[in-house]
Amino acid sequence: MTAIDSGTVPPDFDYLVQPHRVHRRIYTDPQIFDLEMTRVFAASWCYVGHESEIPAPGDYRTTTLGLRPVLMTRGRDGAVNVLLNRCTHRGTVLAGESSGCAKRFVCPYHGWTFAPDGQLVAIPFPADHAVEDRSTLSLGRLTTATYRGFVFATLNAEPEPLDCWLGEAREAFDTIVDRHPGGDIAVMGSPHLLEFLGNWKLSWDNAADGLHATFAHESYNTLGEMVDTETVLARDPGSTPMVSKALRNGHMVVDQRPGIPQGPWATMRRVPFREPLESALVDAGEESLLDLATGSMINLSLFPNLLFVGNQLLVIEPVAVDRTRLQLWLTSAPGAPSEIDLLRLRVDEDFVNFGTPDDLDMFERVQRGLSIPEMEWIDMSRGLPDSDAADGDATIYGPITSEAPQRRYLAHYAKLMTTPAATRAL
Amino acid sequence: MTGGAADAPGPGSAGAQAAVLARYDELASLLGGMDDRPGADPGLTAEAAPVLLHEARLLDAGRFEDWLAGWTSDAVLWLPLSARAHPGTDQSLLLDDRRRLAERVDWRREPSAWGQNPPSRTTRVVGSIEAWAAADGLVARSSFLIDEYRHGRHQALAGYQIHELVGDDLRRRTKILVVPALGTGVRNPSFLL
Repeated sequence: MTAIDSGTVPPDFDYLVQPHRVHRRIYTDPQIFDLEMTRVFAASWCYVGHESEIPAPGDYRTTTLGLRPVLMTRGRDGAVNVLLNRCTHRGTVLAGESSGCAKRFVCPYHGWTFAPDGQLVAIPFPADHAVEDRSTLSLGRLTTATYRGFVFATLNAEPEPLDCWLGEAREAFDTIVDRHPGGDIAVMGSPHLLEFLGNWKLSWDNAADGLHATFAHESYNTLGEMVDTETVLARDPGSTPMVSKALRNGHMVVDQRPGIPQGPWATMRRVPFREPLESALVDAGEESLLDLATGSMINLSLFPNLLFVGNQLLVIEPVAVDRTRLQLWLTSAPGAPSEIDLLRLRVDEDFVNFGTPDDLDMFERVQRGLSIPEMEWIDMSRGLPDSDAADGDATIYGPITSEAPQRRYLAHYAKLMTTPAATRAL
Repeated sequence: MTGGAADAPGPGSAGAQAAVLARYDELASLLGGMDDRPGADPGLTAEAAPVLLHEARLLDAGRFEDWLAGWTSDAVLWLPLSARAHPGTDQSLLLDDRRRLAERVDWRREPSAWGQNPPSRTTRVVGSIEAWAAADGLVARSSFLIDEYRHGRHQALAGYQIHELVGDDLRRRTKILVVPALGTGVRNPSFLL
């Protein structure tokens, strides 16, 4: 057993990811983490940002994709670009700020200058520079596509079209976007950034885990009971009609709506400044819009880096094999009365303060437990055997206590790790 | 629906919403205007210091109920994510009214609140205190360093805090904590108060 843990043995993913159990090594081995940064994060479509964050030409925002510094920009032609944030001269990271507006990106080291679409437009003292064809020195580009304003990018040399990659996940995606008046959803700036000392996949294991809410979030539910609110997490996970779905490509859905017939707003606790904003909407006859102030009650997870939770977008940023950063972005509803976004600000603080700390603590506890070499396996067998949907839509349905979503995403993960796709910058 | 504040809630509720926005504006201008203030009032600074140090000692000792008793009924505790934030347009780590502060104290006592069980052990160092006169009291700015120890690890965060202290007993009406590291990603920040 020590051989499989040595870190020098090439990983055998058929052994490490089995239908009913998973080896600790995929959470603890730095060699596997390094492979993931290319075989998963470069080869898959990844969420980068939302078009509403860069409305004007020259607007940009930075993030990472599998550790690579990247830039999302709006070009002079209005097109969205996702570029590698690296000067083609010596490799300097160009944009140091997390967001801004720039007519040009000027490298602070030697002054090479790039347009927002990545074209090299100037080299200082060009007479002594041997390069004849400047187009070969444009910033590295990622293949980029958008769905409903959400920008995705990939370094896969032959990517599946974004629509196909989303596949069955589009139904939940559309539902989340279309509940906003006019289908108009935007993303506010300045995310929460939270880190935990654990592997990035721990947040995936948790994202469609309907059972943990009863235990890990017991205090959230207890605080709800104190004010006569049955929070959405307080439902009996063994008997709720809520549904979890394991989709193709590792995507996952937990649809909580069947378990809350009274609607999302009824599950919300007394967040600060709730009553005046709520009564303003009620008095205006817009009471039915209050559900918009809380989430869609569909948790949609798009493998490998985007979770829709409440009205937040949770972006998973691996930092190291045992360190992960979570970006929490809040979405707004520009077409709704202003009270909705004012409420959303307070509503999403509710779980961030009284639920998320539980999750962060569990992730770190699991990572510490997985450090024990003699205990090799993680059990993932709840709900086996999986039953494929009869209608052939490639979706596995189950009660929210089933671990089918975890099994399915990990099987997809194992496939990506075993048969690596060619990756390249354009 | 056309969206925006022009969506005409009833007169009573419009007033209620305006009151919320007025409080938010007050918070944003207290934060945004801090660097423009002149040198502090020495007498008020001396008056503010023991109040701020007492609060830090209560929090470090886990005396949250005693700490809660020092707030006014219209209290707000705000942790923005940047010094340029507005509570009505930008995400915050938290913005607690008096009711939520009480819930937060209950949460800190709840054994299944895993994010704080075991609890963080904190050490605050408060310094660089300055205070100025304000309606019915004073406004104080101070810097702090807070070291958190939990699960065998520690992290240290620095920042500054703004207090609005009112009445004869200088109760906390407003407290704003600015922690620049929140913009880079910190581990479980639920110890910050």
